[in-house]
Amino acid sequence: MSQSTPSRRNLLKAVGVSALGLGLTACGRGFGGGGDSSESGTVQLNMVWWGDATRAQKTQAALDIFLQENPGITTKTEYQDSGPYKDKLATRFAAGNAPDLVAMRTDSLREYADRGSLLDLNKHTDQLNLTALPPNIRNIGAVGEQLYGVPSGLNTIGFVVNKTITDKYGVPIPDGDTWAWKDLAAFAKEISAKSGKKVYGTGFEAGTLANMVVFTRQRGEDFFTDDGRLGVSEATVTAWFEMIEKMRAEGGFPPAGFFDNIGSSSSESPLAKGTLACQIIPTNNFLSYNKDAGGNLALLRIPGESTERRRGQTIDTPHLWSVSAKSKHPAETLKLLDFLVNDARASKATGTTRGVPVNPNVTKEIASTLALDDQVATDYLTKLQTEKLLRSSSNPPGASAIAASLKTIATEVEFKRQTPAAGAKAFVAAGQKALAR
Amino acid sequence: MSIVLKARPAEDSYFENLGNTRFVRFRRHLILCAIGIVMMYPLAWLISSSVKPNTLIFKDLSLWPAQFQLSNYTDGWNALQQPFSIYLMNSLVIVVLSIIGNLLSCSLAAYGFARLDFGGRKLFFALMLGTMMLPGHVLLVPQYIMFSKLDWLNTYYPLLVPNFLATNAFYIFLMVQFMRALPRELDDAARIDGCGPFRTFYRIILPLCLPALATTAVFTFISVWNEFFGPLLYLTDPELYTVPLALRQFMDSEGQSQWGQMFAMSFVSVAPVIGFFIAGQKYLVKGIATTGLK
Amino acid sequence: MTALLERTTRARPAAPARKPAPRKRRRDRAGYVFLLPWFVGMLFTIVPFFASLYLAFTDYNLLNAPRWIGFANFREMLADPLLRQSMKVTFLYTFISVPASLAVALLVAMVLNKGIRGLAVYRAVFYLPSLLGGSVAIVILWRHIFGANGIVNDLLGWFGIHGPGWTSDPDFSLSTLILLHVWTFGSPMVIFLAGLRQIPVMYYEASAIDGASKWQQFRSITLPLLSPIIFFNLIQSLISSFQTFTQGFVMSGGTGGPADSTLFYNLYLYQQGFSQFHMGYASAMAWMLLVIIAAFTAINFLAAKYWVFYEQ
Repeated sequence: MSQSTPSRRNLLKAVGVSALGLGLTACGRGFGGGGDSSESGTVQLNMVWWGDATRAQKTQAALDIFLQENPGITTKTEYQDSGPYKDKLATRFAAGNAPDLVAMRTDSLREYADRGSLLDLNKHTDQLNLTALPPNIRNIGAVGEQLYGVPSGLNTIGFVVNKTITDKYGVPIPDGDTWAWKDLAAFAKEISAKSGKKVYGTGFEAGTLANMVVFTRQRGEDFFTDDGRLGVSEATVTAWFEMIEKMRAEGGFPPAGFFDNIGSSSSESPLAKGTLACQIIPTNNFLSYNKDAGGNLALLRIPGESTERRRGQTIDTPHLWSVSAKSKHPAETLKLLDFLVNDARASKATGTTRGVPVNPNVTKEIASTLALDDQVATDYLTKLQTEKLLRSSSNPPGASAIAASLKTIATEVEFKRQTPAAGAKAFVAAGQKALAR
Repeated sequence: MSIVLKARPAEDSYFENLGNTRFVRFRRHLILCAIGIVMMYPLAWLISSSVKPNTLIFKDLSLWPAQFQLSNYTDGWNALQQPFSIYLMNSLVIVVLSIIGNLLSCSLAAYGFARLDFGGRKLFFALMLGTMMLPGHVLLVPQYIMFSKLDWLNTYYPLLVPNFLATNAFYIFLMVQFMRALPRELDDAARIDGCGPFRTFYRIILPLCLPALATTAVFTFISVWNEFFGPLLYLTDPELYTVPLALRQFMDSEGQSQWGQMFAMSFVSVAPVIGFFIAGQKYLVKGIATTGLK
Repeated sequence: MTALLERTTRARPAAPARKPAPRKRRRDRAGYVFLLPWFVGMLFTIVPFFASLYLAFTDYNLLNAPRWIGFANFREMLADPLLRQSMKVTFLYTFISVPASLAVALLVAMVLNKGIRGLAVYRAVFYLPSLLGGSVAIVILWRHIFGANGIVNDLLGWFGIHGPGWTSDPDFSLSTLILLHVWTFGSPMVIFLAGLRQIPVMYYEASAIDGASKWQQFRSITLPLLSPIIFFNLIQSLISSFQTFTQGFVMSGGTGGPADSTLFYNLYLYQQGFSQFHMGYASAMAWMLLVIIAAFTAINFLAAKYWVFYEQ
């Protein structure tokens, strides 16, 4: 054997052993008995949500107030990006290790609620006071007579227009309260023409369920009926696809393949890159879009709200707060939830990261403390709230499969692999099958 | 027959000059460099984006930043619930222990499969390969329930213990193939010299499998260092989080993502991987080739 | 020496000889001792493994107890158009990307093994994509390279070519993913390099004296002696390629889009299990994939008798 071999091996061994020692002494954590080691006499609540670090800091600030006033309670919080969050949540529920307070997607609510995994909040009105909430907001988390979630905040979708671009090309912005879909098409066409297609007039994804739901309601149909069937007609789906393809043909709407089906963050959006004059966003993201797009955005309603058969926009929520049915500490969890919903100090701490507060009294109280951009979105939403809107429908189980097939078919129509009519037919057939399952 | 290990210094340049004209050599380097640029681009972009202000990252696609913002590093380091050093340390502990575990347990099993003959060997080998073939997603829930019954949630045990028990069929299979490529005469010679299976394994086979061991170490380092889903499921305390979990906390599709900080910390986290590879790569090629069999 | 070369070109399956019983028992014991950690580890693997087999025959929504439904999941699979689409995507991807990336990896490994100056640098650089592959940051980079207004199309624009949306056009998205897979040829390359270095130099020296050409050396020394490693890379790539998930997941944001063109089998399985809560169906899909992969692996092991050479 060459002489270097044993000494090298000894060296490696030494490195390995010392690294191990270093690791174990420096990081005794991670090798404990496991599980939740809460101090005796205190109640530990596990609270999970999705979001970024900023949302986490703001949420923690609210929790700190609550914890100070409730010395018997501690919290263990966790947050992730929305994708992995969903998987971990499903696994934890499946293994009977569910968190106490859960951020719940509206389109997953029925999956959990229908299987008895969530606490019926209507049975605990003594601990969780929701009387201040307007009925159509309280109903967002309702399934029949039961209530399985409280909106964490309020948002809706809106059209944002970059005023810097419209000023540059001298195109007037239509009145957002009264514009129709044909006004959008004309406006978009003019922007594209005047900019020599450097900037497209408008663009949004035909395959995003929330966008099409508004259009469907405006035409007098419910996307999902109350008894959980598909309400949207083939004619409406065809009209939706045809309207977009017409705008595309006229040049106001970008060509096929413009939207990457990845990354929907504000800084990667075409709006921020200056290649699009207006697009649809969730209103609670107005702050970040405005920042990334240069700070000169106007917030308009979805077209057709005053010209179609009925109103299409509804008040929605970024997510619901639900309580696990198997929570060991339901009373304390409900107390925390009550604090988040009804205490103005909580909303002051969290700001509008989850949208406008659900309790109108709280909204009034914190309005003056909001940043200017937050106020734009808040005013937009509070004004909508004063009007007579339809109740937002809850998604039946199977809705996620429908959202997926809408995306697929919309892309096929976009690339002319299917006509709008054929795509609509395929979509309705796939939707009915998914709901029947 | 005896084994003589003979070092061959300066072998690389010896081979390079062997029977090649200068032009052929030049052309070969030119092609390799061209491929190299394509390979390097992502790293260059990552470094460049890590010093750009948030607003410029996606607007200014040039590699040389128009504006430098080094605060991405200092801010990113402290942006999460724990300082970034905690996450780096956690990942390091898990990686080092995983490497040790994989090297020990997989080489033992591989020697058994490759050089020893025993009842049920083929069946066990097929079973081992079979476990590689089932998509992991359907195992998640049963595994989670199992580890939760063992009271191992929120500890590193679910991430570490399997590595000490040769559950990674990939590395076993890799080492088996390397060991089977070694001449059988080695075992015979060792047996004649009075070595039992353990001494043969430790004295003869292991040193000759250094490239396979190094490959296992490098691959383990990379896969464990980058592993996201296991730590995501089993760790709940932020102070136990590993680097990939921490990196994902900088961004969310719904919020205002801190791209600059995320890229800065991404670079901080890939630097050890690159360093480990560069440091370890000479062992990747220290095999029988640099030695002669006489 | 020619006799040696002769021998190396002929593949030989190992044929275990029958030995007397007492010695066999002792030999058996040594084998079991070496496999002891593996046996214990199998407990961790085998329990979830067979749990999923049970779930394949149930209706299991993750939240309620599984309900036995016999072969209903498998019957449903026969009539599932998305399942057929996902198989098409997966097979196409596997049969193109596995040979392509192995060929590139072997070629580059051979060039590097020539003992080129700066070998360490090249090896590290070529391996970079595999080192970075798992990083979130790199995923974000892809969007900006292959987007409709990305860097690739900017480059093409200089030559007057109007490129498609490489990830957003269903006609190109899968090709882009195959390209990206080939780009990470570093992992098999490193294994090939390690394997090439295991080949004793004296074989080459001897055959050079015998006047063998480079091609002859490749055919009769490199290929047979590297065959166990080629075989390993092939099996490993096949198995992991059939199970491709991450590439499709990150490039399409989990949808398998555009228009299901990157809906890999494993991605569809994940959607069924975790997005739609059909874990019973997902488990059935998983076992079907296991059967498919096992069949391909078995064919390869049978074929290996004719081309893989192991030292006796």
